Amino acid sequence: MTLSELAVTIALLGALGLVARRFGLSAIPAYLLAGLILGPNEPTQLALVSPSEVTEFVAQLGLVFLLFFLGLEFSLERLSRTGRHFGLGGTADLVVNAGLGLVIGVVAFGTTSAALVLAACIYVSSSAIAVKGLIDFRRLGDDETDLVLAILVFEDIVVAFMLGFAAAGGGGPSATLVLVAKALGFITAGVAASHWLSRPLDRLLDRLPLEFFLLFSFGFLVACAAVAEQLGLSEAIGALMAGIVLSETSVREQIEERFFSFRDVFAALFFFVFGLSIDLSTFGDVGWIVLGAVALTLVGKIGAGMLAGRVGGFTSRQGFNAGVALVAHGEFTIILAQVASGNTAIDPDARADLVAFAGLYVLVTATVGIVLMKESKRLGRALFPVRRLAPES
Amino acid sequence: MTVDLRETRLPGVGVKYTLRTALGGRLAVILHLDGQREIYYYERATDDEPTAVIELHDEEARQLGAVIGGAYERPRIVEELELALGELQIEWIRVPDDSSAIGRTLAECGLRARTGVTVIAILREPESISGAQPGDVIQRDDTLVAVGKAGQFAEFRRLLAEGPF
Repeated sequence: MTLSELAVTIALLGALGLVARRFGLSAIPAYLLAGLILGPNEPTQLALVSPSEVTEFVAQLGLVFLLFFLGLEFSLERLSRTGRHFGLGGTADLVVNAGLGLVIGVVAFGTTSAALVLAACIYVSSSAIAVKGLIDFRRLGDDETDLVLAILVFEDIVVAFMLGFAAAGGGGPSATLVLVAKALGFITAGVAASHWLSRPLDRLLDRLPLEFFLLFSFGFLVACAAVAEQLGLSEAIGALMAGIVLSETSVREQIEERFFSFRDVFAALFFFVFGLSIDLSTFGDVGWIVLGAVALTLVGKIGAGMLAGRVGGFTSRQGFNAGVALVAHGEFTIILAQVASGNTAIDPDARADLVAFAGLYVLVTATVGIVLMKESKRLGRALFPVRRLAPES
Repeated sequence: MTVDLRETRLPGVGVKYTLRTALGGRLAVILHLDGQREIYYYERATDDEPTAVIELHDEEARQLGAVIGGAYERPRIVEELELALGELQIEWIRVPDDSSAIGRTLAECGLRARTGVTVIAILREPESISGAQPGDVIQRDDTLVAVGKAGQFAEFRRLLAEGPF
C-alpha cells in the first residue's frame, strides 16, 4: 500500500461513510463495501489496493484498538450494575441464536470448529450499530432499551471467551486443553492485575506528562497484544486484557478520550482491509449460507427479543422492538472471522468461506437491521394491535 | 407524596432516570457519558413514541435543573425577613482579596459613618463573629453581613473594594 493508495482509500471511506450516514445507516457496511470495491477480487474494475503486509498491519492495529475499547468498558463493578435483564435476557438470546447459528454451522461445515465460529458470528449482534440506532431513533427513553443493552453486554462477554477459541481452537483435544489453560491463565492474570495494579498504575500515569502518558498507554496495549500473540492466543485477547487492566484506573476516561480518534481511524481501516479479502465469486459457495443465516437471524433475534421481553414483563410490541434492535450484526462478527482466518487448525477452504460469509452477512444484516429498527414501532403497531380504552372525555 | 424515580444503567450510554407523573405521563431523563442530557416525555405512560424530546448540553441542563429545583426562587425565609426589616435590607458582602480594609478595624474603616450601612456580623473560618464590634479587624476571606437601605449598598461595596481608608 502506497501513500497515494492510502489517500484514495481514505477518500472512498469518507465518501461512503457520509452516504451511509445520510441514509441513517451504519458506517461499518460502508467500509466493508469500500474494501470490496477497491480489493483485488470481484468486482475487479477498481482493484487499486491489494492485501499486503502493510494492510495486514494496519488492520491488526484496528483490531487491537477495537478490543482495547471493549476491555475499557468491561470493569467488574460496571457489570454488576447491569440490572435484572442481564441474566434472563442474555440467556434467552444465547440459547436461541447460538443454537440456530450452530445448526447453520453444522449444515455448512459439518461438526468442525469452523461450525462453532460460524455459530458465534451469527449469535453476536453489533453493539455499535444497535446503540447508534437507539440514540438516533430516540429509543433511549423506552423501557425495552434496558433489555437490549443488557443483552448486548452479555453477548460481549460470551464473545470475549469465543475469541480465544476462534484464534487457535480446534487442533485436537490435547492442543485445545493447552489453549484453554493458557487462555484461563492469561485472563486470570489480567483480572488480578486490574485489581491489584490499578492503584500503582494510577499513580504512575497521573504523574506522566501528556506525551508520555499516550506513549505509555499505547506501549502497554501493544505489549499485551504482543505477549498474547506469542502465547498463540491472538493479539485480540491481549488488547482486551490491556483494556480490562486499565478499566479500573481513574485515568480510564482520559485514555478513552485520547485514543478515541485512533480507534475510529484504525477501525475504519480494519473493516476496509477485511473488505479487501471478500471475494464475490465465492457467492456461489456461501450465498445460500448467507441467505439462510439472514432469514434465521430475523426469526431468532426477534424471537429471542420477544421471549426475553415476555420473561422480563414487557409487552409483545416492546419485545419486538428489542429483538429488531439486535438484528444488525457488525464489528464482532467481522472480528471473529478475521481472528479465525489466522487459525491453522481450521481447514483453509472453511476459513475463506467464513471470511466471505461474515462480510456479506454483515453487509445484509447491518442494512436490513437498521431499516427494520427505524420502522419497528410502526410494524409493531400493525402486528400487535392493542385495543385502546376510549379516551377520557 | 414520594415520587417513584427509577434509576437504570445503560451500559455504554449513561444513566437513565424514569418517573411517572401524577397526571399519567412518563418522563425519562438520560445522562449521557459525555455530559449531554436528553429528556423524553410520553404524554401517556403507555405511549410508545415520545411526545417530545429535549436535548441539552451540560451547562443548559444545570441551569434548567436549578430553575426546576427552586434554587432561582427567593427562599421564603428571606422574604419574611425583608418584611420584618421594612425599608432596610440585609446583604452578605465578601471582602475583596485586594481590599485595603483588610487588617483595619471597623472603626478605622468608618463604613457606617461614610455609607450609612452597619456591619452586624462577620462570617469567617473557623469561627464567625455574630455581634460585630468597632474594634473587630477585617481579615482576608471575610464575608460581612450588613444592614442598610437599598440605595446605600452600592457605595458600601465601592468603598470596601477601592477605599481609601
